[in-house]
Order: sequence, then structure tokens, then C-alpha cells
Amino acid sequence: MVLNRSCLLPMAFRDVNARRHIGLQQLSSLALAGRTLLGPVKSCKFIVDEITNESTLICSAVRLIESLDLTSAAGQLLNETIQAQTKEFKTGMSTLLFLVGAWSNAIVECLQQNVPVSAIVSVMSEGLNSCCERVQCLQISIHDVNKELCSSSVRPYASKSKTCQTGCDSLPNSQLFLYFQKDISVPEVIPMNSCSHQDDDCNFNKHLVSPLPGFDSVASLVKPAGDKSTSVISGSGVATSSCNKQKLTHSRYFSTLGKSRFSSQQGNFQGYHLGPSADSCECRGLGHLAMALSHGNETSMKLLQSIVTYQQETAKHSGSSQLNVADIVTCCLVGLPESYSCASPGFVTLVSPEQVTVIKYFEDKLLRILLIDGDLTEQYRHLGFNRPCNVRTIVEHPSLQEGDLWISSMLDNLIKFEVNLVLVKGNVCKNLMESCIANSILLVSSVTWNVLCAFGEVTGAQPVTYLSQLNASCVGSGAQVELWKACDGRAMDLGELVPVRIKAQGLPLLTALLTTTVASKMQFIEDQFWTLMYRLHHALIDKKVFIGGGAVELLCLSHIQMLVEQPLQLPNQNAAKEFHNPWQAASARGYNSVVLQALASGWKQYLLVVMCNTTKAASELEACTSVDNYLRKAADCGSPSAYILNEFRRGCLLRDGAGPFTDHREGLKVYDNVTAKTEAWRRALDLVLLVLQTDAEIVTSPRKNQLLNSHVSSEFMFL
Amino acid sequence: MSRLEAKKPSLFITDPLTKDGVSQSLSLLNRILKSCYGPAGQLKQLHNGMGGYVCTTSQSSAILSRLPVSHPVLGVLMASVQNHISRFSDCGLFTAILCCSLIENFKSLNIASCTVIKISKHLLSLCMDYLKSETCGCRVAVDFSSVETLLCLVRSVLRSKPACMLNKTEVDHLATLILKAFLFTVPCHAESNAVLGKCVIVPMKSRRVMDSAVLPGLLIEVPEIQLAKPLTVKRTCSNMIKIALFCLSMSGDSFSPKEGTITVHHGISLEMSELNQLLNVGKQLVNDEVGLVVCQKVIHPSLKQYLKENGVIAVDRAGLSLMEPLSRMTGSKPIASIHDLSPGCYGSLKDVCVESFASKNFVHLIPNDTVVCSLVLCNRNETTWDELKRACETAEHVLQLTLKEPLALLGGGCTETHLASYIRYKSCSLSTSSFEDIGCSQTQYQLVADGFCRSLESVARSLNHDEGEILTDMVYGHCWFVPPGFPPASSWSDLVSKCGCGVNGNGENLKWRLLQGQFGSVVTQDCPKEPLVKAADFLTLDCYAAKCSGLQVALETANLISDLLYVIKDQN
Repeated sequence: MVLNRSCLLPMAFRDVNARRHIGLQQLSSLALAGRTLLGPVKSCKFIVDEITNESTLICSAVRLIESLDLTSAAGQLLNETIQAQTKEFKTGMSTLLFLVGAWSNAIVECLQQNVPVSAIVSVMSEGLNSCCERVQCLQISIHDVNKELCSSSVRPYASKSKTCQTGCDSLPNSQLFLYFQKDISVPEVIPMNSCSHQDDDCNFNKHLVSPLPGFDSVASLVKPAGDKSTSVISGSGVATSSCNKQKLTHSRYFSTLGKSRFSSQQGNFQGYHLGPSADSCECRGLGHLAMALSHGNETSMKLLQSIVTYQQETAKHSGSSQLNVADIVTCCLVGLPESYSCASPGFVTLVSPEQVTVIKYFEDKLLRILLIDGDLTEQYRHLGFNRPCNVRTIVEHPSLQEGDLWISSMLDNLIKFEVNLVLVKGNVCKNLMESCIANSILLVSSVTWNVLCAFGEVTGAQPVTYLSQLNASCVGSGAQVELWKACDGRAMDLGELVPVRIKAQGLPLLTALLTTTVASKMQFIEDQFWTLMYRLHHALIDKKVFIGGGAVELLCLSHIQMLVEQPLQLPNQNAAKEFHNPWQAASARGYNSVVLQALASGWKQYLLVVMCNTTKAASELEACTSVDNYLRKAADCGSPSAYILNEFRRGCLLRDGAGPFTDHREGLKVYDNVTAKTEAWRRALDLVLLVLQTDAEIVTSPRKNQLLNSHVSSEFMFL
Repeated sequence: MSRLEAKKPSLFITDPLTKDGVSQSLSLLNRILKSCYGPAGQLKQLHNGMGGYVCTTSQSSAILSRLPVSHPVLGVLMASVQNHISRFSDCGLFTAILCCSLIENFKSLNIASCTVIKISKHLLSLCMDYLKSETCGCRVAVDFSSVETLLCLVRSVLRSKPACMLNKTEVDHLATLILKAFLFTVPCHAESNAVLGKCVIVPMKSRRVMDSAVLPGLLIEVPEIQLAKPLTVKRTCSNMIKIALFCLSMSGDSFSPKEGTITVHHGISLEMSELNQLLNVGKQLVNDEVGLVVCQKVIHPSLKQYLKENGVIAVDRAGLSLMEPLSRMTGSKPIASIHDLSPGCYGSLKDVCVESFASKNFVHLIPNDTVVCSLVLCNRNETTWDELKRACETAEHVLQLTLKEPLALLGGGCTETHLASYIRYKSCSLSTSSFEDIGCSQTQYQLVADGFCRSLESVARSLNHDEGEILTDMVYGHCWFVPPGFPPASSWSDLVSKCGCGVNGNGENLKWRLLQGQFGSVVTQDCPKEPLVKAADFLTLDCYAAKCSGLQVALETANLISDLLYVIKDQN
């Protein structure tokens, strides 16, 4: 039995009063929860599970969506879209989520003005295409970016203090100013590689302008999944406008500002320290680019910079590409202060304390290594092997226990081939582990595939599934093991688990050690690190970046303004050849400007919220005035793109996202990914239009009676 | 303890069509299907109401297959439409909507159903004769020496599926790819019994549509990087690669009995003996100079290791769907038992290499003769990808049907309105003797013909989902769309620019009239003319074979349903 749930909006074009599209409303309310995650300064949220009382801290759209209740069809589609963007880019999800909400709202307004669905669909998608083409002029090739960033780092400081001055002028809230000054105690600001002629004032000013990473932690409370989505909104909505100011007074409880500032410099020493940076400009350039893409996330940026430099150093010998994401792994150490974060060549992972003696025994020795691509337990069989069910074994002389027999034979195998170190993809049998420790064999479990492959390549080991497959050619050699030591030279003992570093000659692997004392922060520190990593990765794939800080969105707004004023420009030449063109129909009726403005409102809301989140504006109204101001100036100037580009170069564009780079003079430049950004736009619009064009849900559930008895039964029709 | 329950008597329903519930369900189904029709069709979200996958679609194949219905009348209708879809892929909604409209229109006529059936059969034969004749004004010959008409056909299929979320550039790009893939599958050396090859769609979800690509040969995904780069492969003396294709599981678990129990003594391992047998197969493969082993299911890691050490590439988990094209492409016979391995089973390949798209790695098998190709299909998320896949399969099928019968029908509602005009003209000019032959009066004939024409026109009308008007012209009988919101008083020629299929512009005065709904007056009509020029760049074209079949299926199903007298329902 199947039910047809006729649309919650029955044929939008028939009934004027029913122009409230439930699907779009669901999208918009889900997206509202993600407002504070937008922009370089995010407010984290606590997700509290009301049943278990467990809470986690989240700071990204993906994690938010994961914890929301998404049983509605629109919610499922939103989840699917966010996951797709994550899978492809690992960045741009917050933008996507936000625009989904903003455009849903804007389209609902269009529907209320009786704009036909077909006109909204065609004008919006044509408009987005047109904008994506228009903003191409704000792309800068990676090569040019490197040149620019490098030259600016060499350039003497003459023009800089002026930039800072303008920056401060545009900071609207003098109250904020004071808070910043209070919070930043000067001794913590130790300029790195500082130029002797750097003006103290300037340095200080920049501090004030920049949002600091530690400040972003004010949490607004989000109710758990399983609750209605509306309750989420009520929870977070309140926090949005007010908390950015409040957070400054409370920040010391959450903030890691002082420590992290200190740490990142320490980190540079303890991490892989790279050769002279000043003379190899190209290689420093990627580091600059990483910074420009980091949007104020300093810890991750520092980590990434040292990774990039290390990879470039090694690439000089091997001639491989600039950033190899597959060779990077993360290791999370909860319990160490964030200052201990660093990048370490080789593979760092956690092992049980019992194995420490084996590791110490192995130190300075070259080890024979074996790679296992499954579990190391007696019951484990490879994927696709169906356990026999109807086989009975007769045991005539019950003597040795089965398990012991297996362990001893496995151990014999390992000893026979003189294996010292086994990296296992899955789990390891506990008893076998103990026997191995006794025989000085180190077993490391839960090793990912790319790590196995990397070790396979440099040690010559061939991954096997069973120990019975073992032969001489499977075992590699030349691996080294040592306890991982923190910057102060001390091996860390984290109580339960011990970090160990495994390396081999020529091993390209790099481990980013992410540390924090706050366990609930771990997840988002790791997420942030990977986000930044993939931003750089995609910038290198695209070979170009957008100038950031709202420039692209601003140009979109100005472009749409122009389209609205000169509607004849938009339909391209091909459109004339088209037949039954809804676009023409729309423009004839003047739906054009209404729909285009709806499109523009998405980006405008985006800018306003980013400005408010970063406290560049005290209220949305103020932000709105400021954006309108820019738009007017851009229009007056004749060439909006040239104006925006120029403002960006001067470093005073909307003054957001500058990042807290007090110790880097070029910190004012911010860049964005090209494809990730435009794809996020496209995916957001596609989702909204997909839901917009949906007029009915068909529920293929077998439970007709249950639906009949539910409170929404009147909305259903049955076939 | 078992319990016997008395059987319930069967339920006996007379004249099912006159029952309220049936006609309501029928009109609801008609409304759902009409709202899906065409490039501006509204989408449906199909899901189980408990979270999980949501299918967003406007395609009949997806909707009808997931929409089980309770009433047998609807069951008959959906079954015959689904049967049409399985044979032709295209024109499913056309068939279903036409069928529903015919049932509704015929029911309202108050003429004995046997008379209606006889007249409608005659009308159908008039239509079919006209569609088959050279003078037919709504069909175009497809010229295979140029790609333009073929591209139009593919574009029309893609454009009519709005849930694919494609923009114009993407439609053009994909249309080219689909056509390219289709041309790969046409054998180069035409024989009398040439068989088309196969295009295999490789899923690549969450990427941009523009990243899609067509490759000759087949791609098999290898889950992780198991292969050394660059790939070295053993070749035979003729520089070919010998390939063995297994369609059984080689994971080493086949000793497990399906029924009954095996009892073995402790110390005897069935697993080991099975593995030894597999390794013997491996030995034979190595001896036979096989360079590549492909297995539909899983290969035991030990066998894989053995093959690898002997320079044989082993690829497992190829999947059932690849077996047929693999065997076709390589000329190998799939080996179903490890005991009958004979040299005659092996096939050959020109080359093997490793390709990677996004994060996925593939083994690319390149054949000598490319009748098998792979379409790496990308779309931004799961639901739009699934929709696009269905659309691509339809488009490929349409091309195959067109190759058989190189004709196409004008799309965008023009064929329907043109046929309706033709039938209106024809039904007025029939001789009295033909009415006697059919066994009806002229009035009866005219009434049924009008119902038939209105049904056809209602299909064209359902292309429009806004409040705008739909017109037809009195010269060519084509279909014209007026954007919503214009006062009906203004001159039609100011409001329309092109007809639905794109052949006619509004250059001449074409005497437009409104395409009326249910209560239109009977229109007298001249024979509709054939448009002067039928070659334009952006024509909307429909598949000839699919539409002809759809017309027949719709009418025959409608006749069958109008003729239903009793429904007997077993209630046990």
C-alpha cells in the first residue's frame, strides 16, 4: 500500500494563499543554525545529547548537520549536498549551508509575489552563471600570488602603517577596541623574525584590527538531534548578535590565545625546521599562500606551513608535486597544551604503554617491517569470505587450546622471518600482542591504507592479509622506531597511550600532531587542520585563487545591480535561438529584477553575517550601510571590478578576515578557493531550486494506517 | 498447534470505472503524472517517510516503479505503461497521461464502450498510417551523416528531466558525450546481423557534470592502490594481453555445503585444501601466459599474492554488470568453475592501464575493437546523479531506436496538436461508407474523434505548468506557449515567438486559436501543412518508435480499461 502525500503546498501556482513552500521553509530553518559558523571568526556550538548528557563542541557545518535531526526529505537532501561538498572539497560547507538558507528565504518571498516557479528557476540559474563568469576577473594565478606575497614580504615597511590606520578607522566599535587592548597583554606578542625597523605602533594596531583565533570559542547552545529543528534555531539565534561582544569578556575561559600565540612560535622550532627561508622565494610563497587561505586560523596555518616547506624540500630531490595530501596524517594528542602542536616527519601514532620497552629496545636499530591489510585475529577472514556454517570438526584428543595454537604458529611465522615491526590495518588480537611484546615484536594497529602504502614503497614490504602468506619478499627493511619527543625533548606519557614515531629512509609521510588539553575541542581542531590543508590543495589544483575578504560577493552584488538596470544585457546570443524560452517570458513580465534581487540577497546576507560575526559591524544595519556604500562607490567608479581589486590591494576591502597575523607583515591579504567557492554556490542554488520545483512527496511506506492516524493525515492522499 | 480459518468470499465489483474511488484515484494519478511532464515539470520526492534516501524525480520510470497501487484498474494501466518503458525507455509519461485522458474523455461520452472501442481503433489506424506516410507533417528524417539531428534528440531527452539540474552548457556537453558513447557502440564493420555494443556508466557522484568523460573500453574500480605504477603486464608473442574472466567466487569459501553437514577430523582444514585448489588454478593461469585475471567476485588474498609474484595482474570484485560487456569486448568465456579451465576460455586485450578520476582508481581495459565504452558520469549529488543516469540511459536507448528507424517526431507538444488537427480534418472528410464499415453513426464518430483529439491536446497542454495560455495554429497545427499574465485581448502574434518544437517562427499570420480544455467547441480544420524548412539548430525532437508505441499502448490500454465489466478480488 502506498500513499501519496500530496504537496504541502498544493500546486503553488494555483492557490495564492498556499505560497508557503514547506520544503523551502525546512531548508531555511535548518540553515539558520549555521549562521554563526560563517566567516573567519566562528562561534562554536555545544551539541548536548539530552539522553546521555554528553556534549561536543562543533565549529563546522558538516558536524552541525551530522548532529541535526534530518528525517524530512528536504533535510536529507541538504545532508546529501553538504556531504558531497565535503567529499569533493572539504571546504565551503558553511558557505553552502548559509546560502541554502538565504536563497530559500528569498525564493519564498518571490513566490509570495506570484513569480512563477519556471521564471525563478531560469532567472536564478542564468544569473548565477553570469555572476560566476563575471567574477573570473577577480581570480589571480598562484604564480602571481606568490610573486605578490613574496615581494610584499621583502618590501620595506613604508606603506604598511598607513594601511593599518585605515583599517582601524573602519573598525566601527570603539568598545571592542578597548576590550582587545585589555585582553592582549603585550609581552605575549613576540614578533617572529621581526624587522628591526618595524614600527611598534603599527604592530599594535594590527593586533587590534585582527580577530584572534582564541576568541572564536563562544559557544551557543544547540539542542541535540532528535529534537525539532526549530528548537535549534531558537537556541543559536539569540547568541548570534550579542555574543560576539560578550565573548571578549568571557574569552579567557575558552580562549587559548596566550598559549597558542606562544606555542606557534615554539612549534616552529620543535617541528621540522627548514632551511633558510628568505632566499628561496618560491618555497616561501606556498607558505604565504597557506597563510592567505587560512583566514585567521593560526595554529593550523603554522602547521601547514612547516608541512609545505618540508614537502618542498623533499620534492627537490624527488621532483614530485608541491603538496601531497596523501602523505599527510594527523595524530591527536589530548592532554597536551596546544603549544605542542607540530609537524613531524614520519608516522606518529599511539601505542599502549606496555610496548614502550620494545620501542626503547629498538631505538637506533633498523627494523624488518611487515604490513597487514586486515585484522590480526584468529577469526578474521578477508572481505567476501563467507564463514562456513555446516562444517563440524571432531576433536579426538582435546589437548592444546585452539587459540594458543594459533598464537604460537603466528609468532613462529614472525620470528622465522625476523620481523620486528608489524603495521596492521585493523585490530590485533590481545593475546598475540602480549606474546609479541614478550618476543620484542612491535605491533601497531589501526594504520590507514595510505600509511601502509607509503611504508611499502620505501621499505619494499608487500602488504599481506594473513600471516600464513608470509614469505621473504613480503618483509621490508629499514624502518626505525622511537618514542615521540615533544619540543622540550621529553618523551610524552599521556597515561593510557604513548606516541611513537615510525620512520624509514626516504619515507614521504608527515604527521601533524594536534594537541589540546580540551578533549571536546579535538575534533574541530582536526577538522580545521584538514580544511586548511585542502584549501591549499585545491588552490594548487585550480592554479588560481579568488581575492578574498568578500570581494567576490561584492562584485556579484554589483554585477546583479547592473543586470537589473540593464536587463537586455543578460540573455546571451544563444538564447535568441532558443524556443519557448522561459527567460524571455520572465524578462517580458518584469520578474527579472525581482528574481535577480532574490539571488543578490543571498550574497548580501552572507556579507552582512560575516561582517557581524567578525565584529566588523555592530549590527546588520550598520553592515548593510557599509556594503551599500561600497556598491555605490563601485558603481560610481565605472568599473566595479577594478574598484574592488584596487580596494583589495590597498587592503581596506570590508576589512574582514584579515587574520591575526601580528608577526607577518603581509597578513592583510586574504584569498579564497575558486572552484570550491563557486561550486558551493552552485550546489546551494541547485538544492534550493530542486526543492522549489518539487510539488509533492510520495511516501512509499507500507504503514498506511499509521499515517491515517497521524495528525497530518489530512495532507495525504491515497492511491 | 495450527488453526484453520474459514476462507473469505471473493469480492465482486461490477462496472469498476463508474465507482467513485476509482475515478478519483485515476484523476489523482493523472494529476501527478501531468505535473511531472516536460522541461518545466514539477518534481516528486519519493521516500519511505522514515528518513534515508530521497529520490527526486520527474521520470515515469522512477515514479511508476515505486508507486504500487491498490486498485486493479490502476494496476493494469501502470503495468502496460511500465512494459512500454521497459521496451522503449522514452515517452512513458506521454503514454500514461494520454491513457488517463482517453479513459476520462471516453467515459464522459455516454456511448456504448464497444462502439467507442471500434471508432478509436479506426482513429488509431488513421494516426499510424499518417505517421508512417511520407506526407506526414510532424516527422523528420534523421540524417546519420551529420550529428545535428542526433544531438537534438539527445538534448530533448536531457532537457525534459529538470531534476538533473543541468544548465545549457552542461546539457550540450553531456549530449555530445552520450552521442560519442553511442557511436563507439556501433560496430565499424557492418555485417548483416550487426549487434550494437554497450556503453557502461561509471558512477562518479559529487563531482561537476563537466568532469564527465567517455573512454573506449571498460573501467574496473580498484578500491585501493593495489597496483604498482607504472603497470607492467605480461604479453603474448603477438603483443596481446591474454585475459581470463571468472564469474565465480574465488575467495576460498565454496567448500561450505548449502545443505547438510560436513564432518571433518580435527587437523584437516577444508579452507587449506580449497586454497590449494585455487593455487593450482593460479599455476595453470601462469603457465598459460595469462596476463590479466578478472574475477566477478572476490579472489583469495593468497591467490592474488601468487599471481602478483608471477607478474599476473589480478582484479577482483568487477561486479555482475560488467561480465557481459567484458566477455563481449575480450572474446573470453566467463569461467564458472575452477575445474573447467581451458585455453579456449581466454580472451585478449590490446592494453591495460591505470586511470584515476577524483579519488577513485580504475584499471582501464582497452580492447582491439571498441564496441564497448565507458561513460564516466558525474553530477553534484546522489539524487541528481541517479536522475541523470536514468536520463542518459534513456537517451542512449533513443539513439539505438533511431538507428533502427531513422525518423524523429517534432517535440514540444507539436506532434500531439498536429495529429489532433489532422484527425479533426480527417474525421470530417470520411465517406459515409466508412461509418457503415465501422458500424457507427457519423455523430458518434465525430464525438469519439473529438474526445481523442482533446486527449492528445491535453498531453500538449500538460507541458505548461504556469498560468500562461497554450495555442495551436490553423496552418501547421503546431503548439505555441504564451507566457503567463497577458490579457487575452492582445494579439497572439505579439506574444509568441516560436512553436514548441522550434520549427516555426511567428513570421506569417498563422491564425492561432486557444487550445481548449474539456469543453471546447468542435473545430473545423483544414489538413495541417508540413512546415517548409525542417532543419533548425535547436529543434526539440522525440523518439519516433517510442512515441508511436506510446500512442498505441495508451489507446489499447484505455480501450481495455473502458471495457472492464467486473473485478473479482480474492480477499484471503
